Amino acid sequence: MTWISNTITVFGGLLLAHACYSAQEHAALQSFRAAATSTLTSSTPVASSLPVDIAIETIVATLVIVLGLVLGTRPLRPIQWRVWAGKIEREGEEGFLGNNGEVEKDYMGNPFTYLESRPSFVDIRRQRKEFAEWIKNGGGDAGKK
Amino acid sequence: MLSERDFQISPIVQESVMHNSKALQNLQSLSASLFGISAGILGLESYSGFLFYIFFSLLTSFLIYLVRVAPLSSPKEYKDNKGTGNGLGSGVGGVKKYFRSGFEFWAGGIMNGFAGFVLTWTLFYGLVRA
Repeated sequence: MTWISNTITVFGGLLLAHACYSAQEHAALQSFRAAATSTLTSSTPVASSLPVDIAIETIVATLVIVLGLVLGTRPLRPIQWRVWAGKIEREGEEGFLGNNGEVEKDYMGNPFTYLESRPSFVDIRRQRKEFAEWIKNGGGDAGKK
Repeated sequence: MLSERDFQISPIVQESVMHNSKALQNLQSLSASLFGISAGILGLESYSGFLFYIFFSLLTSFLIYLVRVAPLSSPKEYKDNKGTGNGLGSGVGGVKKYFRSGFEFWAGGIMNGFAGFVLTWTLFYGLVRA
């Protein structure tokens, strides 16, 4: 789902580039006019009165880009240990997906994996169900004739 | 202030703290350069430029709050959290759940991107004003 945030950011970038070019052309035009009309007193550039629509376009472009960037951030993780551990237990790895849909690289994993994989603590019913699904999907030796 | 005993009762996951602060820092340094471009185009002078930067940084923090923090701060499955004292607390609107203090979330990144803001501000002011 990063394409939404990227599209919004690029669109805002285009608006901003357009506003920048317009402002630069406006300033160039103003200085050209000032140089053409006043031949003696063209010393300091006047404080340019930027047209209102360029100013509005700049601010709107800024807001759009910021919105696109914020939508593209990764989801935050809880910092209280009990909330974090509860989230791992409930959602497993899927609670820590990054922007590209895969599990993030700095995800430490369940802190109790070592304890839970002891032989007397194995969840045999879940493993049985997973194996049955794997066979049903034609996995491994069952697919070979 | 949080005492040592509070940290023993509800410890903090260091990896999550780093992940959250990294995500925020990336966003804030990038957006600070962006605000510099806007300030340069608009031709802002001294005080109004800095006010522009502070205002838009707070606006960015508010947007992050709306998009990432607020939807998850009224959880239906944490029914027991509302009644009991939460140890580290849930802060104002749930910010404490992801950051160590409210101030760190709202205003901690302003100094982080300040240099980039001034850099792009002066650059684009010079470019656009010919």
